[in-house]
Amino acid sequence: MTDSVFRETTAEPRTQSVPLAHLSLELGHLYMEDFEAGPERLREHFAEVRIWVDAARASAARRIGGKRPRISTCFLIDDYFRRFSTPAELVPMVLEEAERAGLVIDYLARESGCAVADKTELAEAVMHRLVESPPPGSYGSRPPVSQTGWLANGQRTPATRTAMAETTGWQPPQETAARNHSVFMDVELWSEKDKQRLWSCPFLAAVWQLARLGLLRHLGEPVLIPRLWNGGDFPYDWDQLPPLLQLNASAAPFSAYRTCTLMANRFLPVEDAVRLILDQIDVDSGALRQVAERSAREGAAVPAAVAQRATYVFYEESAGAFSYGET
Amino acid sequence: MRVLALSAPLVLACGEVRTCLLPSFQALDGRAAAQLLRLRADELVRVSERPNLYALSPDVLTGVDCRLPTSNGTKVRAVGTVAARAALTEGRVLQATAYFSAPAGGPDTRRPWGHYLVRPGLVEPFGKLPEQATAEGVLRGGGRGELDLGMISEGLLAQLLRHPLLDHKAPFKSRRTHLRWAARRAPEGEGPSLERFTLAENGLRTVSLRLPENTPAAAAAGLCEDLALHDWLLTTVVHMLDNSRLGAADGPSAVLALRPAVDHLLHLWMPRAHVDHTLGHLWDVLEREPGFTRQWQTLVQRIRDQLAVQAVPLLHKALSTR
Repeated sequence: MTDSVFRETTAEPRTQSVPLAHLSLELGHLYMEDFEAGPERLREHFAEVRIWVDAARASAARRIGGKRPRISTCFLIDDYFRRFSTPAELVPMVLEEAERAGLVIDYLARESGCAVADKTELAEAVMHRLVESPPPGSYGSRPPVSQTGWLANGQRTPATRTAMAETTGWQPPQETAARNHSVFMDVELWSEKDKQRLWSCPFLAAVWQLARLGLLRHLGEPVLIPRLWNGGDFPYDWDQLPPLLQLNASAAPFSAYRTCTLMANRFLPVEDAVRLILDQIDVDSGALRQVAERSAREGAAVPAAVAQRATYVFYEESAGAFSYGET
Repeated sequence: MRVLALSAPLVLACGEVRTCLLPSFQALDGRAAAQLLRLRADELVRVSERPNLYALSPDVLTGVDCRLPTSNGTKVRAVGTVAARAALTEGRVLQATAYFSAPAGGPDTRRPWGHYLVRPGLVEPFGKLPEQATAEGVLRGGGRGELDLGMISEGLLAQLLRHPLLDHKAPFKSRRTHLRWAARRAPEGEGPSLERFTLAENGLRTVSLRLPENTPAAAAAGLCEDLALHDWLLTTVVHMLDNSRLGAADGPSAVLALRPAVDHLLHLWMPRAHVDHTLGHLWDVLEREPGFTRQWQTLVQRIRDQLAVQAVPLLHKALSTR
């Protein structure tokens, strides 16, 4: 009812838009264990990543007809599952090793910022937006996702009967969108210890993807807003570091129509789980519309489904690079 | 509106509204209303203060993959999301609506879930949608295993009624009503119309609409919430007058029986206060026949007359004991 004389701002839906690049390129998603392995590990990582960065840039340029694409790079540090060292010690090392490989990190993020950023409970809000893919036969009953803390891509194997009941054979789980055969997956979204909720790595990574895709809002306002680094020293406490720090003043916007993530192939299961989660999130419709309209206007229309906007390069790690022990 | 560019035009929108008195001793103010209806931590509740206090929750989705109800027994499987939302009027009357739209047809296989989630409130049939049979089926109510809008709206209502803000001390007794609606597409070039409003038993009402292609389902839901609200007011006040046993009852008990209407309901009558301006005129047909506002004014006048009549002896008594 925009053509009426009288308006009430509190009665109108509003979603503030965010600046958008063509591509958000993640140069790494490293855990404390990786840092412990020393600068050589990072050097090796960035040298490998550099090759794929060039390919991702070329792909983004081709997509918009050979023009110069707006690409921002980011790097994620885990300070959520395990804290190690200090920003003052670590961040300069990361930046130095990136520079050595000819890479510029535009934005630096902390993983705990995907759980809570500037006092906004991002992960909690995203959890409330989960709309589970209904198995055939769902006619309106709501599956209680918030009770189980797991999210699947189909129907689980039924619980085994008690000893008294007739024994039934094992029944397989079933992927809802199976093509002939199922690839069933069940993802843990969080765990609880001492009444504290610990978000799982795939769930936080799903929040991270939504942030990079410009699809997160809190009461219509953007969240995880980058703060420009003043060029000074990095703090000695992770909590003193902004959740999202802009290191390069002339960088393209943090959020983008598409994301590309460059990582070691041991992360493949995590990222597959991220896609499963993204595929079942009812994203802020205002933000979704803004991205769809602007990308179409720029001739870079995004795929309708959010999970389709995220691409990956999984590279082979050098022998003995690391154990499987990431969180 | 929460709809992206769609491949197939939408030909049907259906919904069900449940309307009840908020079980709270005090009516909620705007802030409390926003708190109650905050179905998601990160999304705003829309609050309007003119011409009356009205709060509307964001939509929440429920995924469905089941048969659609049809009046002729045609079996149509459909997949998608049903939107549900809640509204609170003057902090007193709570409504929960579940609604969806459907295109004329869809592919014969289920698509990835992400496809449906970016089309909130849309349910896609497998193959061709039997429009009329589905519209009739929804109004009649689904059978076993068929899409159940009542369950979704009831589920939302139950969730809201568990909110800690509510003390469950309703100022008077009242019954819930549920209104089912179905809107088929109006013929090319024709405007929206209200074809039928049926008052059935057990608090059930049904509404058949015809809407132009570009009318959002949320606007139709808004109109039907407005109809349901006013029908509930009529139903509730009629019931209250019935129970007050006017004439038969002695003065104070009649006053006591009617007092809640004055305190909580009489100021709520305001047809089309928050209805999309393209649909507001659909009220006209109900004002002509049976005349909703005409009945309301008669009821209000009756209550006021009754209270005046009861006041006369009291006044008399007061004067004579001087």
